[in-house]
Amino acid sequence: MRKHHLPVCALLLLCTHLLFAQDRTISGKVLDPSGKPIPGASIIIKGTKTGTSSSADGSYSLHIPESASTLVISAVGWTNAEVAISGRSVITVTLSIKENTLSEVVVTSLGIVRDKRSLGYATQNLKGDQLADKGSVNLVNALEGKVSGVNITGASGSAGASVNINIRGITSFTKSNQPLFVVDGIPISNDVDRTNGGPNGTLGDNQPPNRALDLDLNNIESVNVLKGPAASALYGSRAAAGAIIITTRKGGGPGGRTEITANTSYSLQTAAGLPEVQNLYGQGLNGIYNPTTNNSWGPKFGTAPTAANNLAAATDYRAYPNNVKEFFETGHISDNNITISGGDPKQNFSISGSYLTQTGILPNTSVKRSTVRFAGNTVFRNKIKAGASMTFTNTLQNGILGGNGNSSLGVLWGMARSIDLTSYKKKGTYKNIDGTNNFPIPSTDNPYFGAYANPLTSNLYRILGNATIGYDFTPWLNVSYRLGIDAYNDRRKQIFAVSAARVPTGQVLENTIFRSEINGDLIITAHKSDVFIKGLDITGLLGQNINQRIFQSVQAQGDALAIPAYYNLNSATVFSVGTNETNTLQRLVGYYAQLSFAYKGYLYLELTGRADQSSTLPQSKNTYFYPSANAGFVFTDAFGITSDILSYGKLRASVAKVGSDAPPYLLQNTYAPGSYGNNVASFNFPLTTANGITAGFGNSTRIAPVTLAPEFTTAYEVGANVGLFKNRASIDVAYFNTVSRSQIFNVGISPSSGWNTMTINGGKMTNKGVELLINITPVLTRDLKWDISGNFTKIVNKVVFIAPGTDNFAIPGSAFTGSIPSIKIGYPYGVIIGGVIPRDSATGQRLINPSTGLYANVIANQVLSNPNPEYSLGFTNNVKYKSVSLGFTFDFTKGGQVLSFTSAAFKSRGAWAPTGVDREKPRILPGVIPVAGGKAVPNNIEISSQAYWQAMGGLQSEFNVYDATVFRLREVSLGYDLPASVIRSLHLNYVRLSVFANNVFYVAPNSIMDPELNTQGAGNIRGLDLQSAPNARTIGANLKVSL
Amino acid sequence: MKRTIIAFIILLTLFTSCKKFLDVNNTPNNPISVTPAVQLPNTTIAIAFASSNDLDRVTSVLVQHTAGTLNQAQQYDRFDLASFFDNSWTGELYDGAISNLLLMIRNDTASPIYTGIAKLELAYAFSMVIDLWGDAPYSEAGQGLANLKPRFDKVQDIYQGNSSLGITSLFDLVRSGIADLNAGGGLYKPGGDDIVYGGNVGKWKRMGNSLLLKFAIQLTNVNPALATSVINEVLGSPDGYINNSGLDFAVPFSTTVGNQNPLFTFNNVNRASDQMLSQRLLTLMRGLNDTVRLAKFFTRPTGKFVAFDNGSTAAPPTQASRSRYNTYLTGDRSGEAASGKAGGGDSSVKLLTCFQVNFILAEAVVRLGITGDANAYYQAGIRASMQKVGIDTGAISNYFATNPTVVNLTGTTEQQIQQIITQKYIAWIGNGIEAYNDYRRTGYPVLALPQNTTGDDPNVIPTRLPYTNQELSRNPRAPNPRPLVDVKLWWAK
Repeated sequence: MRKHHLPVCALLLLCTHLLFAQDRTISGKVLDPSGKPIPGASIIIKGTKTGTSSSADGSYSLHIPESASTLVISAVGWTNAEVAISGRSVITVTLSIKENTLSEVVVTSLGIVRDKRSLGYATQNLKGDQLADKGSVNLVNALEGKVSGVNITGASGSAGASVNINIRGITSFTKSNQPLFVVDGIPISNDVDRTNGGPNGTLGDNQPPNRALDLDLNNIESVNVLKGPAASALYGSRAAAGAIIITTRKGGGPGGRTEITANTSYSLQTAAGLPEVQNLYGQGLNGIYNPTTNNSWGPKFGTAPTAANNLAAATDYRAYPNNVKEFFETGHISDNNITISGGDPKQNFSISGSYLTQTGILPNTSVKRSTVRFAGNTVFRNKIKAGASMTFTNTLQNGILGGNGNSSLGVLWGMARSIDLTSYKKKGTYKNIDGTNNFPIPSTDNPYFGAYANPLTSNLYRILGNATIGYDFTPWLNVSYRLGIDAYNDRRKQIFAVSAARVPTGQVLENTIFRSEINGDLIITAHKSDVFIKGLDITGLLGQNINQRIFQSVQAQGDALAIPAYYNLNSATVFSVGTNETNTLQRLVGYYAQLSFAYKGYLYLELTGRADQSSTLPQSKNTYFYPSANAGFVFTDAFGITSDILSYGKLRASVAKVGSDAPPYLLQNTYAPGSYGNNVASFNFPLTTANGITAGFGNSTRIAPVTLAPEFTTAYEVGANVGLFKNRASIDVAYFNTVSRSQIFNVGISPSSGWNTMTINGGKMTNKGVELLINITPVLTRDLKWDISGNFTKIVNKVVFIAPGTDNFAIPGSAFTGSIPSIKIGYPYGVIIGGVIPRDSATGQRLINPSTGLYANVIANQVLSNPNPEYSLGFTNNVKYKSVSLGFTFDFTKGGQVLSFTSAAFKSRGAWAPTGVDREKPRILPGVIPVAGGKAVPNNIEISSQAYWQAMGGLQSEFNVYDATVFRLREVSLGYDLPASVIRSLHLNYVRLSVFANNVFYVAPNSIMDPELNTQGAGNIRGLDLQSAPNARTIGANLKVSL
Repeated sequence: MKRTIIAFIILLTLFTSCKKFLDVNNTPNNPISVTPAVQLPNTTIAIAFASSNDLDRVTSVLVQHTAGTLNQAQQYDRFDLASFFDNSWTGELYDGAISNLLLMIRNDTASPIYTGIAKLELAYAFSMVIDLWGDAPYSEAGQGLANLKPRFDKVQDIYQGNSSLGITSLFDLVRSGIADLNAGGGLYKPGGDDIVYGGNVGKWKRMGNSLLLKFAIQLTNVNPALATSVINEVLGSPDGYINNSGLDFAVPFSTTVGNQNPLFTFNNVNRASDQMLSQRLLTLMRGLNDTVRLAKFFTRPTGKFVAFDNGSTAAPPTQASRSRYNTYLTGDRSGEAASGKAGGGDSSVKLLTCFQVNFILAEAVVRLGITGDANAYYQAGIRASMQKVGIDTGAISNYFATNPTVVNLTGTTEQQIQQIITQKYIAWIGNGIEAYNDYRRTGYPVLALPQNTTGDDPNVIPTRLPYTNQELSRNPRAPNPRPLVDVKLWWAK
């Protein structure tokens, strides 16, 4: 803990400096009425052009001549202030809100603070208090429903499960389409690292987090969502899919005093969105009791036992109506944070510590996150600004496996209605005395055995650090360097107990994942006012970026455990399967420039250009350039429109191109240890026999290209910002059209060429969209403030072209044959391709096989479902009356489809409520029977209820594709600030008490369950529910005390 | 001024060339060249895996060795074959065995023994492709970027060669391999990495000659003259052929997890509910009083055979009671019950066998008039099969003594061929591909349609596999629309 001496030392240095100072310098901070900093305010000596602007933390420092007597402080959106200097050297100014100006400052690319009115592209800013203390553990969850142009879907409600976010659609065929996450100017990893769940691989693994989970929401000051490539041109390749710019809290409150803030919250979680079950029929098949099946096609409860129905062999044959529901537990989230910040605008520090624990809604699942953070800033010799922060995080995740085929959930979903599952938990009998699985259904894990005997643990340590030093060569020229490091090490262990159905001989898998990213930016900025003509300000920026990313995953897999329940690699007797390592190293050097023109505060033009050199492209062709231009025109100011109705109006337009390099190591043909087969039977070299161990290598399935070029996306955007009724209402609308070309992907080639795929540049994909953000403050009085915010997003994605002769290909990742997330010409990205029942051309009805009364065999390779929503809406209300505030957020997603294996299990196993209705009656599948002469007659073949539902219960059946339209009360919160009188008597700054609820209810008219599930989590594969965890409903309370 | 100079120096330092800095794109994860000693085990396993995985499951249910009770095996049983077999065509054959064997042949010219072995394995792999799918890429296959749209060569051209199209016959491919083996010497020589024959060149030559016999007998319907000449060529060869079961081309697997025979991993680990003994095979074997041998192929968990009729929609018997592949095919499971572990999986995958060669020669004598004692070959075949599955000599003699009508060829040529092929069919339980080849060529044993058939033609047992979706969609030279599965292959009866 030596670090906290730093500001003190720096302060001493500064004092020394002041004694010898020849120039007079004043410094201070520009603050809003609540004491929060106002960045970007201009501080000018009255009657001169000499001035400076405040930094992100609101601080400034300025040389002044002896003659100076008054400072003029102005900031967009705030009333100007004039302050007499009166011999002071520290002047802190508080500005009040200027009601008739719509403006906001935002942190844009490279951490540059900008007046939002100057931007020719769309961004959306959220304050930390719109995100924290609302029951979300993951930052991306907290953004749900609040940002236009963005699609967010969580994997599930499982503790720590990842959350997918795509900004303005998907622009790359195979690269990550998650936005770049940037913390205080430093790009960080938001990767999802997956560990195989036994032979089912990542189709049946624990749901791992996206690594934004490691960010402590308590530390976040603001989040700015940069939506298009124009917004992120300066981050280059990495921000092709947009960027999430996170600014963390800084020290240096008003008056230089030290503030201590303590925050504690506690919430409860329950599983939500489970399908309804029937409780009339129990375990069995074809109406006959069978204790070894997980189906509920047995006799009706209460039927007299006979030899025919086999109930004579049954004991305690009755319904356990809650056997599925009671598997889920009440989750608990406890989040505690303490922050100490102090110093003045020049020398300040902030120290915080947080501890979050979550126990999940699934047994034996949890997340524990500890965060320690330090940040300090200093200014010396009035010209050199330096700052650094370091965050140390430890995240532990305990998870259980999912997926169909012997995961806890795969067995649980649609479980036979007469199985007394809860008793296994109560009595601890889910395993035998020798530790093996105890369940009456052969080759099937007891769900509790799955949860407790086959867990995955992840133990991650992460360091996030950055240091910045800046030097003002002249009042108009600044050079700064920023260095950032993000590194983590995730040690994971996946266990399969002996007798586990997936790995009967037991397994210990140790998987260590390491990622590091080092990023350095040299930025030279120059600013001149009144260049050439009065009122023309020019800002120039020149930068250089070095980025290095390292990834390593080392996996040691020990199979066939010699000693059951001894889960150490020493216990294993086979190490030849799954033991491997993967390393990647990639580097990028970028050069960029930005030139911004502002004319009289109403006309803005900005040009950027960037050239990247990437290690992943062929050396002779590894440099690529991409430009952007954007313009903004505040017509209300330009034409001097002053109206109480139209208070503010701006039109903007931008065009931007962004390039993106290749993943590493695509340019060489390689060999790999031979491996054959899939989940039903497989072989992996080396071969161990009595004669010894034999290695076997074969060519990789991909053939390297002759050459490779970068990917490019070009985006066109037009938009408008309008403020109405003294800016009590504002509208931000944008239309965008992006075209992605030269995609890098592996295209399937004729397998008889000896290779399965080849890496190429090709394809074309477009995204067209409209996004709308409306903010209204219908009531604003001294005591009552009501804010309404609504957003609308519609994005139409289309794959225009892939490669000659290629109609579709699978999105890289794991998939089941028969439901493959794909890229298909003429369809939006990510449609799921599988088998579809043929239809009669005349009537459009499904064809029935006349010999069985069941549906005809499916036609393979058809589009089975489309996960892309038609549009989405979000709607947030915040009402503040005196010290009480109430907020709620609704969201609505129209369209999009989910293929649900969960639903299939409930149907085919006869557990879903409708399967219990009129079960004894024969049924007829809707459809037609083809007859001679190419005609078809309505199906009249009666089949049993079981056959009927199983015909609709195939995992990959079109009957288990659901419209994912859902309306949801996403978030409700009620806050109360203790009255000032009470606070003062307690010597406190403020005390805020709030209660909140998350995912309060939903209405999904066309789905048997909550359709907002995305088993594969953050990534390009969407719209699959592969028997994963359900969503969680959260309620909780929060207490925040500042002293 | 001083400040400007400092700034300039900083800039210069940071903007300097970074060519070396960026030269980090050589993969540390995979080798970019390998020796034949690690290629040969891979290709050998690839062939064996292809033969005993999905292709075995589909052919085994089609010839009614087994019956499908769930999932794909059940679909195959009802002739629902479209949209499968990409893994076999692509992963196991063209991108598994064939591409790597071609790489060996191209790159290992300095090591003729490896090249020779690779040619024999390549001929075997291609024969699997064309016997199951028909016309297929052959002369232009496996060339990578040099040919991304390989031509589909005709089965007859591949078997017989077609110099005008630049197609080497399978026979010449094998002969060329044997010639390489005869040349010998070279930079690398196989040893323990030759997991079948331990580097014994003589055994490989026998394998090559036996392969010629297999190819020759496949042509009885279409080119008996060529078949006759090749068989006589082999019988006259000093190198011999597989004439005892110890010389079988049988690829070893092991009990180690990940190294197990797919017959074991599929049936005993991952998909225990999917296939079981066919009722029709059980009926056949009972009729031949051959249930002792059947019990070596299939288990009797309840002390009796529990079979299932092909294509039936009835509820299958409980899993625990079903007759499924026994240890001859799935490996040693001794001690399995005691340890609770799913041991086993070390049974070899039999690709060319002594019993097969004997049955081929018996048929060649009967059908083609090759010199020899058909009945002796026939009995040697039965005996080799019985010995191979583990029936002791006494029991074999007893069977021969009590079933003279079974173990002696009688009747017309056609009846004798039926006897031979029926015995060959029984001996090949566990290798459905060979039984399927013989069934389509000879029509024996006579099989009734399964129940509830669908597919391209519900009324005909499929005579070929449908081309895979990947090849159809990616290779414009693939026959499109694909031939239906009731279109007979060139050599079929």
